[in-house]
Amino acid sequence: MTDTSPKRTIANTPPGWFDNVRRRYFPTPIQSVISILGLGLLGWILWTLLNWAVFSAVWDGQASPETCRAAAGACWTVIAQRWRIILFGLYPFDQQWRSALACVVVVAMVVLSCVPAFWAGRRLAAVWVLGTGLFYLLMKGGLLGLPLIGEEKWGGLALTLFIFVATCLIGFPLSIVLALLRRSELPVISKGIGLFIDAVRSLPLLSILFAFAVVVPFMLPGWLQTGKLYRVICGAALFFAAYQAEIIRGGMQGVALGQDEAAKSLGIGYWHRISRIILPQAMRNALPATINQFVISFKETSLVIVVGFFEILASGNAAYGTGDWTFAYREVYAFIALIYFVFVFSLSRYGAYLERRMAVGTF
Amino acid sequence: MTRSDLAVSIAAMNKYYGNFHALKDIDLRVEPGEKVVVCGPSGSGKSTMIRCINRLEEHNSGLIEVLGIELNDDVGNIDEIRREVGMVFQHFNLFPHMTVLENCVLAPMLVRKTPRAQAEAAAMRYLEKVRIPEQAQKYPGQLSGGQQQRVAIARSLCMEPKVMLFDEPTSALDPEMISEVLDVMVSLASDGMTMICVTHEMGFARRVADRVIFMDRGEIVETADPETFFSAPKNERTRQFLSQVMGH
Repeated sequence: MTDTSPKRTIANTPPGWFDNVRRRYFPTPIQSVISILGLGLLGWILWTLLNWAVFSAVWDGQASPETCRAAAGACWTVIAQRWRIILFGLYPFDQQWRSALACVVVVAMVVLSCVPAFWAGRRLAAVWVLGTGLFYLLMKGGLLGLPLIGEEKWGGLALTLFIFVATCLIGFPLSIVLALLRRSELPVISKGIGLFIDAVRSLPLLSILFAFAVVVPFMLPGWLQTGKLYRVICGAALFFAAYQAEIIRGGMQGVALGQDEAAKSLGIGYWHRISRIILPQAMRNALPATINQFVISFKETSLVIVVGFFEILASGNAAYGTGDWTFAYREVYAFIALIYFVFVFSLSRYGAYLERRMAVGTF
Repeated sequence: MTRSDLAVSIAAMNKYYGNFHALKDIDLRVEPGEKVVVCGPSGSGKSTMIRCINRLEEHNSGLIEVLGIELNDDVGNIDEIRREVGMVFQHFNLFPHMTVLENCVLAPMLVRKTPRAQAEAAAMRYLEKVRIPEQAQKYPGQLSGGQQQRVAIARSLCMEPKVMLFDEPTSALDPEMISEVLDVMVSLASDGMTMICVTHEMGFARRVADRVIFMDRGEIVETADPETFFSAPKNERTRQFLSQVMGH
């Protein structure tokens, strides 16, 4: 037995990309045919899309609706003409820079609080207080010479982002509280909270939003009857919290009982056991499901249209629904889909980054 | 010696799980500096008994006093006892999301409000005592079982406890790692620590224990100094157990 036999040498050479392709996609005649057909179909879909969106499309921002209608491809003129309605809704035209700046503030706030260097109570609080204050000042105004603009005029991307961020900001802490109460040793509390969570989860979000927008005001004192937007956000936050609470509870169940016992035996008190030992490990277990929940919530913000708010999807409807552009709905929806994609895809990538980061020290 | 001078005093303690009588009229007095080894077949209640001492299990009747503090529903008392009583577990229970050093400084910083620099210096001292200072920056998952258990002992010692409870500290270890943990426990014993150890390591019991307690079916069946315990056990159940443990 020597290492110089020809067979041995061949087996030790890593296969090149050409060999790899041949072995994976063209091993038998039948599989070769399937591979070629699949490739053809893929190419055709790609070509059709590209042709519609790029090659045969109208790129002239000033083109008339008639030219556009005659063209074979997409009519991007509608976006050039109506993008301000899509992004800002009913917000007064000459004040729309405020809405744009407010979007930047929200995005900056979220990005900053996603950076590990900011994960300290005081820094995070500063970012949120400053961010929310600035957003409010910009959107609502009434100070520093900015005209007052009521919540009923808010719309488009700024409204979508505001509803999403506020929902998570209220819903996430609430979900932790619910999950902890659900684990209470007192049956009255754990059963009661369990029933509450199950009740919220068995209702459609649509009906909860309706209830908070329309029904709840009858039960509130007069001075609380304004502010429909905030009631709707509370409803969405409650719905978010009910689902997220069960996700966190699942994560907690994955933490070994011995962890809590070890912390107890060291004399560490309840709140520190929860915040330093149980929750960090539970959140690591629950991370994939949590990111999923955030993604769902972002997309569910579009439901506020039923109680009369013009978030980005509703503003899009308005952008093509009036006047000369009624035929151009595909382009508007493609544009909105792109905006959703940018946000949701970033969220997923951030989740993947967190998973890699938290994998440090796992068994 | 009055009762309050004792490290641990248990009198007429009973514990039930539903209808199951897990611990029956337990009486146990441990003096400061004493080393007590508790042995017995599995399910005999030995773990449950020492877990009652720091309230990981709640006793149903009887009196438990630790360092003169009565263990009752008073949360202040429970906290005070847990601060003074360290515990080492069968499965180590290190916090996997923290480094070895962070595991060691967490409780002193949170509970005793020790400044970080001071807590870290103390932690390094104890890590040296268990002969593992070079692993301080690693995560528990990167260590062997024997190393993890030594870290767990160091973590407990960082709270400067007056009593140490060991709940089968070597049962989950591979055979070649048992002695490194036992060596640390022997050196701790020679420093005068009060220790109550649930263990099957009879060699350790012979070397270190002032007293060996045999438990079966929730009762303390026999208490004796190790010499008498191993050479002339009085009770039939003790003899049977010893022949099973020592027989091979």
